[in-house]
Parts: sequence; structure tokens; C-alpha cells
Amino acid sequence: MVALLKQKFRTELSFDEVVANHPGFPRLIARKIDVQRRGVHYTERAAAAFDPDLHQLRSPYIFGSRDGEIKPLPESLLLRDGTTILVDPTPLAQDPYIVDHRDGRFVLIDDGEQVEDVDLWPKPAYYGKLTSSGLPMSHIVSARPQRLNVFQSSFCYFWADKQGCQFCDIVTHTKQQRDELGVPNRLRPKDVKETIAEAIREPGRFTSLCLTAGSVIKGAKLFDLEVDFYIELLQAIGENFTTKKFPSQLIASAFNEKQLARLYAETGLTSYTSDLEVLNEDLFNWICPGKAQHVGYREWKNRLVRAVDIFGRGNVGTGLVGGVETAQPLGFKTEADALASTLAEADWLAARGVTTVYIVWVPRPGSAFKDQKAPSLDYFIRLAQGLQDIRASHGLKVDFDDYRRCGNHPDSDLARLA
Amino acid sequence: MAVTLTPEIITLLDDDKTSKILATVGADGFPHAVEKRSLHYGGDGSIHYLELLETSTTNRNLVRSIWFGGKVAIALNGEGRSVQIKGRPVKTHITGPLYQRHYERIRASLGNVDLAAVWVIEPDEVIDQNLEARKRREEALHPDFVHLDLIART
Repeated sequence: MVALLKQKFRTELSFDEVVANHPGFPRLIARKIDVQRRGVHYTERAAAAFDPDLHQLRSPYIFGSRDGEIKPLPESLLLRDGTTILVDPTPLAQDPYIVDHRDGRFVLIDDGEQVEDVDLWPKPAYYGKLTSSGLPMSHIVSARPQRLNVFQSSFCYFWADKQGCQFCDIVTHTKQQRDELGVPNRLRPKDVKETIAEAIREPGRFTSLCLTAGSVIKGAKLFDLEVDFYIELLQAIGENFTTKKFPSQLIASAFNEKQLARLYAETGLTSYTSDLEVLNEDLFNWICPGKAQHVGYREWKNRLVRAVDIFGRGNVGTGLVGGVETAQPLGFKTEADALASTLAEADWLAARGVTTVYIVWVPRPGSAFKDQKAPSLDYFIRLAQGLQDIRASHGLKVDFDDYRRCGNHPDSDLARLA
Repeated sequence: MAVTLTPEIITLLDDDKTSKILATVGADGFPHAVEKRSLHYGGDGSIHYLELLETSTTNRNLVRSIWFGGKVAIALNGEGRSVQIKGRPVKTHITGPLYQRHYERIRASLGNVDLAAVWVIEPDEVIDQNLEARKRREEALHPDFVHLDLIART
């Protein structure tokens, strides 16, 4: 697959110029954002320095990469403050950061200048092992520095109806992973339970679990089948723990109260996230047509609010594809308008106990928005600070989705000081 | 500019009987000084500090320091020596081999504890806090700083 993106970054303000305008914003988090916006390219010298016994190479993931390829490259990076950068290999033509290996260290290079030391993610001990059914455990559960990811099913019914979210490449990437790596379409609870059991034998390695997948609209009530899948899986996972509840996040469809109550009562799940993706009703209808048709923007928000009664304040969240609100032709025309609108909606949710986090939007080659342009670094800095300020003003914590439990949200990285 | 820790300082740092205080600074400018027995020599010229609690004031202050260029001070007192080390947090390990080694070690020594982070502090300055040494230095540099009764003929 060939990436078609042509976004150029040299015509923007430089990193130093942008950061100088935000003296109260951590430079390292700004760097994380910028690396995520632009992607990375590994030099041959860096590639020669990877040690597959020590470093985690790319494992199955729910979304694809900017180069549209699955190659044995490092999974991702860590900054020296413990901040995770989830970033994917990016063609040189798109002006990514360079990861090189100099004087025995991996370093980030921007415009020829060495700007930061980075560490590669360490390989977890369970990678390379097989389940009793003979599957590679790394294909069942993938690792982040401190989190276990369970991508339960690789299918999204919205895509099947040609109503997939326009920024998303889940099905494109799933097919690629199945064809090239043999990753199963749907996980069996027994395989997941075995893999989790093996993973948590490693002392000090993991602090939480995250389950997510595409939406499953089938069942007596909308999403009943999706809920059944998750309950079966979470119950199997729960057999590995001595406590009924275990630190965990489910990122799933907007379930009704009965479904949420079942999830809470029948499993060890501790937090619930359902992604609105974009905080504007008109844009939601355009960008997420499947979600809009089956649930609707207002009902999706209301379901999040009702989830707070079940999971508690600070344990319910919604995720945004930060920046997608500027997609054209229907998105906001200015970054200032986009930011003001998004933060106002996030404040409404926070007042009702729902926390909002974002990921940096990367127009991916396997998505409908592949030719769009993401907003500026300045926008992403303001969005991160704005969301964290809102959280703080409402006394909301985001423990289940912070720098350590997740690592993919610049706004919740800032919660380390809260 | 990093300084090299002498073998004597390293011994003092790694001695279990040494009193070890780590002082950080909060967002409000208030110093926060707490005894931290887990301070020890990192083996590569740096000092390592094992933080057990993610939300401790010290941990938050260290995060603020690494983000915004703040400094820390470490006071060591033992075996007749008293020194202060000024430095900067330059890295934190929350995963990886070094982190896991310390995770297992601290659980073996302290029992049912968790480990939030291993902080790496680079020393910038070592100050001998021994009173006699400080007094000799003060007398040499500021001979006028003395009460007259102390030099009066009796």
C-alpha cells in the first residue's frame, strides 16, 4: 500500500517558535505531539541497533501506519520523562522526525539537529510465547510500556454498512494484519486469559488492561452482542486476578444503562470509555455516520453521562480524534473556532462527570480522510492544555487513561502535575 | 555542568546508616524536603531515587522539574560527614530493565510496596556541609564576620 499524504511542515512556525508561545506547557509533551503529528523514520543505523530480544517490535494494532506497511520496526518510543510516544513509521517524503543511533543511544533528529534522547519500548517477556492453541501471544494481546491491549474483534459493523468513521482505517488495517501476519479476526477468551496470565507474571511490567474493538450493532437491543462479547472476555480475564475488580478500561460503543450495569456487575471492569470522536453534532453526523444513525450525537453524550452513575466520576471518558474537527469541507474554518467549540462541549461533559481525552489526528492512508491536513502544533498544545484545565476545574481525575495507563493523550500527560 | 562524585560521597550515599534528605520545589515555590532512604549511587555518575507513590509531592515536583528545568538538593549526613548535593532530574524510568531490577529489589527489601518510578538525578555541585570545614572557609573568605568578644583579649 502506498501512502499518499503530502503534508509539509517546513512552511509552519518552527517547533521552538511554537513552544516559545506556551512557556507554561512542557516542552517534552509538545515534542511528543509534534512527533505524533509528523511520524518517524528509522535510519539504517538505528535499524541495525534494534535488538529483537530487548526491544518490542511492531505487534498487531487496531489502526494502521502512515506508510501503510507492516514491517519489523520498533513499536514506539519513550521520552526521558517517562512519556510515551505512540508513533508509526512514516515515509521520508512526509518530513517525519528521524530516529538515529548515535554514541550508543537512540536519538530524535529534526532538521539535522539532535533534539532528544529516546528509548525504544522494552519487549515484554510473554512476546515470543505461544498459547496452548498455538497462537503467538503477541497476536492476542499487545503491549504498551505499562498496559496490555486486547483488541477483541477486528470488525466494525459501521464499516460493513459503509458508515465507518471517516478518519478510521480499522477494517483496512485488520485485513492487512490478517493476510500478512495471520492475526485472528476475533479473539477467543481462553487464548486471551492464557496470554494475560503469562504477561502479568513479569514483575512490575503492567499496570492496566484496555479492551477495544469495532462496534457490533447486533442483538435484541442495539449493541447487545458487543456487550456479550466483552462480558465473556472480561470474565475470562478476571480469572487471573485475586480481586473482583482489576484496573481496566473498555473503549466501546455507547451502551444503554442496562448494558452498562451488566458490564459493571458481572465483570472486573473499572472504567468505561465511549468515543464521540468529535465534539460537534453536525460534524459528528458527517464524520461518524454509523454512530450518528444508530445512536445519535445527543444520545451518545447522554449515555456517557448515565455511565457516570454506574462507574463513578472520573471513571468514564470519551475520546476525540483531536483536530478532525478541522477536516474540510464541513469542518471549522479556523483553529480558534474549532478549539472554542470543542472545549465548550468538553466542559459540558466534565460538569457531568465525563472526562475527555484526545489523540493526535493523523490522516491515515487507509481512511476516507487520507488526503486531509491535520491542524498545527499550536492547536494541539492549546487543546491539550484546555482539556486538562477543564478536568482540573471540575475536580475530575483521569487515572485510568493517564500517561502510564495509556500514554496516547497529550492532555492526560499533563495530569501528572494535577 | 555535572560534577563527579568522589568515592567518599558515593560511600556516604550508599550507606544505609546515612540520613538522606531530598528537597524539591513545588509550583507555589515552597520547598519540600523529605527523608528518602532509597537515594543511592546510580553507578554512572548519577544518583538514583526510587519513588514509591505516583502522586507524592516529591514525584510531582520532580515531574515539574524535568519539564521546566527545576533543581533539587540532597542532604547527606553520616559517619561524621555532612554534604549537600545540588542537581537536576534528567530522566525517569517507569518501565524497562533498570526499573524492573529496582522493582524486584525494593519489594524484596520492603515487602508489599509498589514502585512508581526510578528518577535519575545528575549532580551539578557538591558542597561540604561539615561545620568545621564551612567555618574554615568562612574565616578565610570573610575574616571580618566575627563577634568581637570571640577575639577579645581575656
